[in-house]
This record gives sequence, structure tokens and C-alpha cells, in this order.
Amino acid sequence: MRTLLLTALLGLSLASVAQSNTPPLLFSGMDGLHVLDDGTELPFWGYGYVAEGTLTLPGPLLAYTAGGDYTLSFVNESPEGHTIHLHGLDVDQNNDGVPSTSFTVMANGQASYAFSADYPGTYLYHCHVTTTLHLTMGMYGMLLVTREDGTLWEGGPEYDRDVPLLFSDLDISTNWAPTEAYPFHTIQPDYFMVNGLSGASLTASPEVAAAVAGERVALRLGSMAFAKVTCSFPDAWNAEVVMTDGRPLPTSFSPDALELYPGERYTVLIDAPADNDTHMEVVFSSMVNPDDTSMQSIWLNTGLVDVEEPAAAMPLTCYPNPATDRVYAQFPEQAWQVCDAVGRECATGRLREAVWNLDVSGWPRGMYILRLASGATSRFAVR
Amino acid sequence: MKWSSFWVLLAWASVAEAQALRIAPGTWDAQGTPCPVLRVLELEAPFGPNAVVDVPENSAAAASLLNEDSVAHALVVDDVDWTSASVGPGETLDFQWPALASGTYRYHLEGLRGERLGASGILRVGYAAEGAFRWHLSDLQSNTLDSIAGGGVPDPALYTPDFFTINEAHYPNTLEDPTALVAVNVGDTALISVVNAGQMDHVLHFHGFHVTLLQSSRSPERAGWSKDSVPVRRGEGLTLQLIAHQAGTYPVHDHNLIAVTNAGFYPGGMLTQIIVSP
Repeated sequence: MRTLLLTALLGLSLASVAQSNTPPLLFSGMDGLHVLDDGTELPFWGYGYVAEGTLTLPGPLLAYTAGGDYTLSFVNESPEGHTIHLHGLDVDQNNDGVPSTSFTVMANGQASYAFSADYPGTYLYHCHVTTTLHLTMGMYGMLLVTREDGTLWEGGPEYDRDVPLLFSDLDISTNWAPTEAYPFHTIQPDYFMVNGLSGASLTASPEVAAAVAGERVALRLGSMAFAKVTCSFPDAWNAEVVMTDGRPLPTSFSPDALELYPGERYTVLIDAPADNDTHMEVVFSSMVNPDDTSMQSIWLNTGLVDVEEPAAAMPLTCYPNPATDRVYAQFPEQAWQVCDAVGRECATGRLREAVWNLDVSGWPRGMYILRLASGATSRFAVR
Repeated sequence: MKWSSFWVLLAWASVAEAQALRIAPGTWDAQGTPCPVLRVLELEAPFGPNAVVDVPENSAAAASLLNEDSVAHALVVDDVDWTSASVGPGETLDFQWPALASGTYRYHLEGLRGERLGASGILRVGYAAEGAFRWHLSDLQSNTLDSIAGGGVPDPALYTPDFFTINEAHYPNTLEDPTALVAVNVGDTALISVVNAGQMDHVLHFHGFHVTLLQSSRSPERAGWSKDSVPVRRGEGLTLQLIAHQAGTYPVHDHNLIAVTNAGFYPGGMLTQIIVSP
């Protein structure tokens, strides 16, 4: 069974879809602090889950099921205008997130973007306001569209696990003083990340790329970097490039190294080897001066033993809390139960939608508890 | 105009007549600062963007080149093993373009002076057609052009481009060029010829659409790829097909985001639009 690797603690965590008229899933902010590899807390702008209240770099990983029509909502909790551009999803003009042709979400404003997840694949999202600055400040994330039957696309290869790897970079001096960032053409990233991690923090992380030995793994590679990214795969992975930009390739290929330019995505199938000591090298090279490079290493942890357990790592939070009409939560598909304060079952079911939601209008005021089959619980109040 | 496919288009591709060209020195306006540049123009054309050269496929088309510059030059075509004979100042060279398979290629003057002063253009092989769009991408460092024009050799490691252009114009001027602004109707199929004449790679991101790579002068194995973010490597020529399935106005821009600026100010640079009428 295909399983999405959850890396909530690293800033990439699984979200599911927002439905029309649901509260905003994401918020944008300009007061994030990202811990660099040397321990420095660097200011950044970005996105986070409303339910968690924390900005992450990169923004939350958004996951949708292919074939659906969705709405992504966000609230702008910052003093300046922002948007969400759904990069690669070919949305119509009004939902494109471009200020001059769509609209800007001003401070304290809220917006929804409608899109159809027609094509499974790897996508990105980012702010499109003064894009050069807002991207280097950190306003981006990855978005996956996957199929329920465990294939990459209809009639495509089966696989076991998604491992999303989002490459990005930043110019440290710009993040310290964004108002002094002009002129933008001199922005030169000097800190390079994979899922927000860099250097020893990336090398030491067991969660960035983890699988069970023997699994067929889909590396979901995407770049929000200013630099060109070159990934070199070890022979033991049997890397096969099968998709780009949310579309199957006419013919797959098996390179030793794969280049990703800014905004590109590739899906690479690999065989997770039994040995736990293989890694891919990722070289970031300046688009202006290619000799200016920095290398990162991603080690593949094949020590996972229970592919169903990662759900426990994801915090379960009901929102809004207190609720009046409808209460929401995000969690992987499984059975759920809601009980009142004295333990009486009020509702039960099995999650089939992308976002769990329950009509509590007319329920007696009081405290309730959502309990999942995994054992996770979350309390909420009804008013 | 609608085309059902690139390959149908190829079947009726016109055979261009021998094209007379000239190498012309002139100036380019870097937002109020005139910069010395070189262009390859049609012989009778006024000074402006570089000429688009249309030739039939698999045919060594005859052409001529008058050199109005002060030093000798030769023409080359990137990704093709071909260089013309040298043509001295004031002389005219009669030559034949290389016989090539259909597609988009980049020609330019050989050497640093020609490269950095912008003498470069699109060589369209086998699909010349009225209404085809074209993007000649470039980048330049405006404060080095005087030195280069005077024979100076800049350190490539210090290259800091401050202007990024499509058909020798930067946004918003790109919207005034009917060959750079893709204005079509819903249901149309547009062909776009793209070459990278700059000193660095670029990557074009399409809002609203995926495009199909029909041909690459650098990587023929990419033919048939459907993408929304298309790398155009230095010197590469691409032929792209866009099917306008939805109405609206959509940006197309370099996703190397330093390149959507003019002298460092956003928005600008390598940015145009696709406008699809209902």
C-alpha cells in the first residue's frame, strides 16, 4: 500500500484538502523564525496551518486525491498583501494568484482558490506578490496529487511510498533585511535546503527520506530554488525518471544525474535497498555563475518497519474550537468516533473525505472528544 | 490561424528565398542609458531586433551577410557543427546555412564581441508561417557593454546581468511585440520558437497551460514532453506547442526570479503574457 511519508516535525507535514466554505487551511505570515544548521534563528515569511498556528519553511505539504475539484483557502495574517499561486495546476485566471491578473489578498484578508486535480503528479505553491522577494523569503511549499490505487497515473507503474523532496535556497542577508533587498538582480542565495534542512541537520535527519527496504519509492522532486539543482543517484537505487511537471514522460530514462531548474518537478522511482547507507548528492549551482556551487546530501533511511505508523506523528487538532456549526480535522483515512464528556458515543464513521468534518449544529453545548483508530485524540467544544 | 498539429504545418512549410542580412552596430536603450550593441538584421530593415531567419528543412539555403561592423565576424549555429567563413569590415559574404532537420535553432556571431553585444537570432527550419510566435531570450550586463565594444574582455565570474529580454525588449515592452505576446483564441494551437541567446540558462514557467516540446536543438529525446516549466539552456533552440484550452490572461516568465526585473526592480525582464480570447 502506498504511504505518504510524514515529516511534520521538519516543516513538511501532510495536509488534505479544504472544501468550499471551510475555514482557511493555511495562513500566511511575515514573522517566522527558521533555525539554520548553525543554530541561527533567521527571519522568514511563509505559510502554516491555521490549526497549528506556526509558520514553517517550507510551507505545509498539501496532498490531494486525483480526480477531485478542490478549494484551497488561506487567511493573510501579515501586514502586507500575499497570494497563493498553484504552480503547474493550470488553474484559470481568477484562481491564478497573480496580483495583476487575479487578485491580491490584503492584510487580514481571506481567499479561496478553486482547482481541479485532473493530473496526478508533483506541484508547487507560492506567493506571487513581488515574487522575487517573497520566494527568497520563504513563501512556498509542495503540493502532491496522488491516485488512490497506488499507481502514479492511470495505467502507470505501481509504487509503495511517496518521498517529497523540495529544494530551495535563500540569501541570508535578504532575510535579515528584506527592505534592503533591492536591486533584486543581485540576490545571491547562500543557504541551500532540502525540505528546509541543510548541512549536518539534513544529513542526520532520519525522516527526510525514509522507506522500508525493498519498497518502490517515488521521489517527488521539486525546486523552488534560485539555483539549478543537480541530483546524483547511487546505482543501488535503480533510479528511473518517469514524470515531469505533473505529466508522464513519453519514455522514462535512468540517468546518473538529473538537473532541476527553478520551478521544475520530476518524479523518480527508486528501489529502496536493504543497506541503510546510501545517499544522493544534491548540488546547487548558481544560474548566473555555474561554478558557484554548494552540495547537500540526502541519506535514504531504509529502517522504517511499520508503514502505517506515521499517522501517530501528526498532531490531531479539531478546528474551529469552539465550534458552532461544523468541526474539522485532518488525519489519514481510518475509523473515528466522537464522544461527549461522559463517554457516550455521539457519532462514528470512517474517514473517506480529504478533510474530516462533522455537522454539530444543534448539539448540546459542552466538551467532546474525537478519537481515531490510531489512538490519537482531540477535544473540542460546541457552543 | 489554427493548426491541427506541428506536423501538418511542416507539410506545407514555405521555402524561404535566400535572405540578405547585415551586421549592424547600434544602441539599445537600458531604461534611458544607450548601450552599444550589435545586431544581425535583414539587409533593408531599419535597426531593431535581430532578424528571424526562415529556411526550408534539409536544405542548404543560400544567404548573404554584409558586415557593417569594424572587425571581422563569422556566423555559427549552436548545437550544430557549422561555422561560416569570416567576413571582413565592409565586405559581403555569400554563404549557405547548414541543412538541418525542422525545428528552432540559434545563430549568432562567433566570439565575445558578437555574443555579448547581442548579435544573435532565431533560425527557424521548415515551419515558417505567419502567426508563429517567437521568443529570443537574452540577458546582459548594461555597464559592461561600452568596455566590450571597445575591445575589453570582462571576467565571466563577475557577470551580473541587470536586464533580461525577450526579442530585445523587457517587460512591459514585451507586451507591445505581437510575436512575443501570444494572443490567440480558445481552441487555437500556437507554435512558439524559443532560443536562449544569453550568458546563462533560463527556465520559462507557463501559467494556465502546459506546453509540448516538439523539438530541442540540444536534447532531441525531450520531444513530446509536456511541461509548465521549460528550461532553455544557453544556446538551445526549442519549438513549443501550446493548445489554448481556456480563456484569460496568463503570464509566462523566467522562473529564475532575478530575471523578472529591470535593473533590479520587479516586475520586469523576461516576462510576457498569453492572452486567450473566448
